[in-house]
Amino acid sequence: MYNPFYFSTVIAYMLQNTEYQIRPYLTWYIRLKNIKKVMYRRKLEPTRAAKALRLFVLLGVSTQMIVSIILFVTLLGASWIGPFLAAILYFTAPTVWALLVVVPLWFGRVIISNPKEKRLIKASALLFKKHPAHKIVVAGSYGKTSMKELLGSVLSTEKKVAITPANKNVALSHALFARRLKGDEDILVIELGEGKNGDVKRFCETIGPDTVFITGIAPAHLDQYVSLDQAATDIFSATNFVSPSSVYVNTENQYTAVYIKEGYIQYNAAGASEAKASKVKQSLNGVSFHIKTPKASYEVQAPLLGKHLVGPLCAAVQLAERFSITKQSILQALAGLQPYEHRMQPRYLASGAYLIDDTYNGNIEGMKAGLALLNDLPAKRRIYVTPGLVDQGSETHAVHTQLGAAIAASAVDVVVLMNNSAQPIIQAALSAANYSGELRVEDDPLYFYTHIEDITAAGDVVLLQNDWPDNYA
Amino acid sequence: MKTIAVIFGGQSAEHDVSIVTAIASIIRPLQLTKEYDVQAVYIAKDGSWYWDNKLKNIELFTTGEIDNFLKKAPKVQIVFDHGLTLVKTRQFTNRKTYKKIDIVFPAMHGTHGEDGDLMGLLNMAGVPYVGCGVAASAIAMDKVLAKLIAEAHGVLTPKMQFTTKSDFEHDPQSFIDAVNKQLTYPLFVKPAHLGSSIGITKVTDKNQLANALELAAHYDTKILVEEAVPNLIELTLPIMGNEQPIPAFLEQPLTSSEHFFDFDTKYMNSGKKGGKKGGAQGYSIIPAAIDAALYKKAEDVGLAVYRAVGCEGIARVDMLVDSITSKVYFNEVNPLPGGLYAHNWQKKGISKTQLVQKLIDYALQRQHSASDLSTTFKTSYLRQF
Repeated sequence: MYNPFYFSTVIAYMLQNTEYQIRPYLTWYIRLKNIKKVMYRRKLEPTRAAKALRLFVLLGVSTQMIVSIILFVTLLGASWIGPFLAAILYFTAPTVWALLVVVPLWFGRVIISNPKEKRLIKASALLFKKHPAHKIVVAGSYGKTSMKELLGSVLSTEKKVAITPANKNVALSHALFARRLKGDEDILVIELGEGKNGDVKRFCETIGPDTVFITGIAPAHLDQYVSLDQAATDIFSATNFVSPSSVYVNTENQYTAVYIKEGYIQYNAAGASEAKASKVKQSLNGVSFHIKTPKASYEVQAPLLGKHLVGPLCAAVQLAERFSITKQSILQALAGLQPYEHRMQPRYLASGAYLIDDTYNGNIEGMKAGLALLNDLPAKRRIYVTPGLVDQGSETHAVHTQLGAAIAASAVDVVVLMNNSAQPIIQAALSAANYSGELRVEDDPLYFYTHIEDITAAGDVVLLQNDWPDNYA
Repeated sequence: MKTIAVIFGGQSAEHDVSIVTAIASIIRPLQLTKEYDVQAVYIAKDGSWYWDNKLKNIELFTTGEIDNFLKKAPKVQIVFDHGLTLVKTRQFTNRKTYKKIDIVFPAMHGTHGEDGDLMGLLNMAGVPYVGCGVAASAIAMDKVLAKLIAEAHGVLTPKMQFTTKSDFEHDPQSFIDAVNKQLTYPLFVKPAHLGSSIGITKVTDKNQLANALELAAHYDTKILVEEAVPNLIELTLPIMGNEQPIPAFLEQPLTSSEHFFDFDTKYMNSGKKGGKKGGAQGYSIIPAAIDAALYKKAEDVGLAVYRAVGCEGIARVDMLVDSITSKVYFNEVNPLPGGLYAHNWQKKGISKTQLVQKLIDYALQRQHSASDLSTTFKTSYLRQF
């Protein structure tokens, strides 16, 4: 039998980690095999909401257990049915309250959160409308945060720029962002998340963008979108709010091609519109290349990893020129860029190996870009670590087969997979492609990540791509 | 899957160092290979043997929980049955648990572990084990003997005098006089058998000598006094292999002739006086910042000593270099370097998991070679009685 204190903490933790969303929480709970492993990686953040829900479950479970014990003792001796039902009542207490906890959650959302959010979003539409700044929105299945940060770094050298924080990209985050604006900003850079069909369109209606960036389309959130096409249509709906010449699209991505219209600025490894890239080199110190635009030439040295960043960097330069940012400021901004946390972030390990932390990468295009980088870097051993991808919906099999084939086609010496639902698919694709390197399958991802220095040495380059949240298996 | 017993702890001044070596540099990497069934065998300070999976967790030792564990845990018996078998008897049920050991990975520094005692036991059991054999271990652990053997093989060593504890206690003055007559200050006074800089004193004038000798005699039965090498560069070379030894990088501890690292500095302060906690490996340059010719000379000295002493598996050779004359002196050889000097091998491109696997391969290779030798033969000796 579970300890009610521990059980209630675990339930609150699961709710917190699914952002208090009822469906993901219930899916996780139904799939749960071992409650003791739930809080293996992290502990419950004792927020007000988490503490309230923990108390609710604790009181519920404890009361039901006490009542059942009293009933059991009282009914003992008369008939076996009474004590039997009391025992059932006792043993089902955790399950009953793990399910009942969604009731206050649902009421809280309907009565408190949703109306409050609606009020904030409505108010933010007015704030955005009144704000005189040039509004840039960044949408796409991946690469949004990096693009937003990149634009912010380059444009803020000479303009007053506000960008949405971290990966806060839903309507409520936009509303809170709008409330914090001072009104004197020249440029706003806003990241648009996509969770379900129509999200991007709704965000744009609220914000009223002047420039749109589409960073790429890939299978993501396909448990919410019916198909990849529906996700792409929603993301590209942002382009309807601006003129074609104010749309920047990453065409290095195979899925964006069919949505390109005349006048869009296409960016890729060759450059962005008239900004042409050449002499591209990459290393663990970053990318270096040459950009030539009608206005100037740039020798770019950016400490960001991966050739896939050449396109976004060119697009940022092209946009900066539109805002009349000087060449000196642009170069200074690009040289001062820092790798974004958990996105192709290089780290030197005490073992002498290099580790590239790309654990926030959650899409197949990003995985391929990472493998291309790993392939290109000089190394004694190339070690590739991934648990696979989540939220791929009906594309799950196809995407992981693609991933396995991409790994096999790369010069990877050691592949490390995690023992989860994606592993057999990737492993089958590796076998089908006659992958001849070493394959490790880890049962305990945390133990492996913690001791990665023990299996590496000088000359090794390790690429970590994606890290599954606790609620996936 | 082969079963490997990692034996650590022991009745030695380096008991605690052994725990860290065993858990961080041997047990964990062995487990990460997923190729072995790893068994932790701990020898407590009172000499009792324990065998339990809980002993693989460093927190058991760092939190002091080990004391409670030892009160409850059954002690281990060893059976020599064409090999080595661990036997554990449950306290109440009297039920016995057996574990046949295929390979032993000794992780004990100092007395009984590194000096050949444990290796003798393992030889008797006929179980393959990692690292130097009985003779090499015994020689390596006796700094005087190791220097005499190195000298016999043409390797330079600092000028020295030595005595036994009993001789010194019987007539301290005559040894002090001999030292003052034969050697030039500054000097180093060392217990002949201890590692990790325990009991070592640097003596700069005659007045300090007697105290230093008494300190060394407190720790050991044999005392060594040797001249300090001037213009000192300290070098250390981890080496592994049997007949064909492979050197790691020459490593240069950041010290000078005015300083040396005592135990606390070496293991408690990350190598820096007043430094942060961090272990023995935070204070050196790898590879050593010396010119190529001197590097080669020192590497050759290290390999020559490794062979002369008869090391197998792994060892670390320490050398002292006079940076003006470029003379390389042999200082000591350590048959079980702390943490296997994995940090150095990692720089050489060998991970901790690869290192332990290679060492096991060397152990099996040696066992295979030894199995070809005849150890018994028929005689008519008994018939005469």
